Amino acid sequence: MWEHRALYVAISPFYILFAVFGLFPIGFSLYLAFHKWDGIGVMTYNGFNNFKYMLTDAEFWQAVGNTFMIWIYSTIPMLFFALIIAFLLHAPFVKFRTLFRVGYFLPNVTSIVAVAIIFGALFANNYGFLNYLLQSVGLPVVEWLNAPWGIKVAISSMVVWRWTGYNAVIYLAGLQSIPQTLYEAAKIDGASAIQSFFRITIPMLRPVILFTVITSTIGGMQLFTEPQVLVGNDGGAGAAGMTIVLYLYRESFINNYFGYGAAVGWGMFLIIALFSIVNWKLVQGKSS
Amino acid sequence: MIRRKRTCWTAILIVCVLLISGCSIWPGQDDSANNKKVTLTLWYWNRSIDDKLIARAKEKFPNIELTAQKIGGDFKAKLKTTLAARSGEPDIVALNDWIMELFPSEDRFYNLYDLGAGDIESQYLPWKWKQGVTPSGQMIGFPMDTGPTALFYREDLFKEAGLPSDPEDVTRQINSWDAYAAAGEKIKEKFGGKVFLTDNIGSVYNQVLSQGAERYFRPDGSFIGMDSALVRTSWDTSIAFKEKGLLANADGWTPGWNAAMNNGEVASFVGAVWMKQVLQEAAPDTSGKWRVARAPGGDGNNGGSFLSILKSSEHPQEAFELVRWLQSPENQLEQYQTLNLFPSAPGVFDDPAMKEKEPFFGGQATGPVFAESAQEVPDAFFGERYPSVHNIITRRLNDVAKQNADPQQVWTDTVHRVERELQR
Repeated sequence: MWEHRALYVAISPFYILFAVFGLFPIGFSLYLAFHKWDGIGVMTYNGFNNFKYMLTDAEFWQAVGNTFMIWIYSTIPMLFFALIIAFLLHAPFVKFRTLFRVGYFLPNVTSIVAVAIIFGALFANNYGFLNYLLQSVGLPVVEWLNAPWGIKVAISSMVVWRWTGYNAVIYLAGLQSIPQTLYEAAKIDGASAIQSFFRITIPMLRPVILFTVITSTIGGMQLFTEPQVLVGNDGGAGAAGMTIVLYLYRESFINNYFGYGAAVGWGMFLIIALFSIVNWKLVQGKSS
Repeated sequence: MIRRKRTCWTAILIVCVLLISGCSIWPGQDDSANNKKVTLTLWYWNRSIDDKLIARAKEKFPNIELTAQKIGGDFKAKLKTTLAARSGEPDIVALNDWIMELFPSEDRFYNLYDLGAGDIESQYLPWKWKQGVTPSGQMIGFPMDTGPTALFYREDLFKEAGLPSDPEDVTRQINSWDAYAAAGEKIKEKFGGKVFLTDNIGSVYNQVLSQGAERYFRPDGSFIGMDSALVRTSWDTSIAFKEKGLLANADGWTPGWNAAMNNGEVASFVGAVWMKQVLQEAAPDTSGKWRVARAPGGDGNNGGSFLSILKSSEHPQEAFELVRWLQSPENQLEQYQTLNLFPSAPGVFDDPAMKEKEPFFGGQATGPVFAESAQEVPDAFFGERYPSVHNIITRRLNDVAKQNADPQQVWTDTVHRVERELQR
């Protein structure tokens, strides 16, 4: 090892940065989860009380439920649209494909705060654009940001808008890696376009679909900025937009329960891990 | 050979540390180099101190090298993180009305009484002064501006609904929350439900609460209980406003609120003096139609800020002289003229500058209304857990207002949640 020290020095910045900004916070948050700390004063050992409080806190469970609902509302349409978009982008008859790819990817790099403000104007209860449209065709207005489901739809639509293009680009890469010969063989055997889509494209894409499901699970469980900017730190009317991370943020940085916030963080870690495993089993299960 | 290796490793380590620390290579070098000027850092947020006043402070105190930093974003979170890190702290820091959250950490601040604050105590509003003093008697916040409340109302709409419209008549006749609610029902009737008396349930609750003295906690830290007269009155009044249909459900700081104000959907609201600016920016089309009268039910205060000196400061005495000068009555008066910051020194309330007529308020001089209110604000103790308890209640009130939850059930649930909160 000693004779290769120059090499180790060369790669050390990553490990040093990781240790400082990655490893240390992880360890510290575990330590913190067993303490009571207001962020400034002394830390006192609190045993499992933070976890006990979390498990018996109705607001925490509501946040977990909300997060799952928003995840379902957003992930299913998002992956569905992404697959269609990718399929179209891959089709030989579409012109200006690079332009479309850039166009679909663009929402992903737009400032999320700006997006939330625009969506806030779309979904606003009074003077919102959607309600204006509903009214102009003679339908009753919907109090989007007062109804529990309305808030979730608004947040989910932001997620869909932002991540559909991203997933489409990933699916496109997956589509491009499927050998053309498979389709040709199917064609010779007399398979229709729909048959080859379900019998060749989907099975061949399974690993890519698995990847997008797992990343959307992790992303969906960590949803924060969209609800925070759209409905505020308390999750809006009836806390219907309160997600796990928003709850963690509010408890830590608004209410100053840093120890409790750390415990919630670990709770969230467990939920994501479990949920990812379940997803993996579900999507992977069929192929084996 | 070993020694060379060690120097080599030390060099690499230093380089890495410098890379990580963002290359602030030799801090503190300036101090030894300059001609013994005292360096002071001041943290404030936009519009809490006028930049011109800071420029004048630099002339006024030639012995102080003042670095005034406007901290953007979440000021409180940045301050708390800095306090937690115990490094990079400023000497002087502006604090908002969340000062009570820092009372448990009073040892991180200088006791301003030790630095001579007691000599000028009589120049400031007593209730405001007390908000900067911790239960153990340490003064950690020096008074800046305050937020006395009053009733903002649309003169034209009040007149049309057959209500008193002259500020003095309004003050005299709409003098209780019941009288205010009755006025709201008249407005509702007159405009067929298109104009609401006031903006939202949280603001009603806040304003009734801000007019009382005993809130959630006693100065010894004990919880008064959810059945305290003030909490019950505030809760019941807010629920009554909701049930009578007097609320526009327009939440503050949203485009919807601005639109409701500008479209004349809201006829009035009780708010602090700084709402003047907020309202003018939100509802430019209604200029000239608003008036200000004393708030129904009594006077209260929302917001207002403080200046503190952190224990880490090496020059507390100089810092205190600077704070004292920045917040002197004359300078507070000047800040009122430039930034609309309402003085906490009542000595300047009679100045002609406080009595200027304002076109947005139809030529009414609103300064005297707020000045009278400021002198009547009750002494109130908040306690460091005030924000979390208060948040639980206002959150649940919103469920009643917006989702038609059953008030009685919500009350029971709120009591339960507050109890749980306090056991943490």
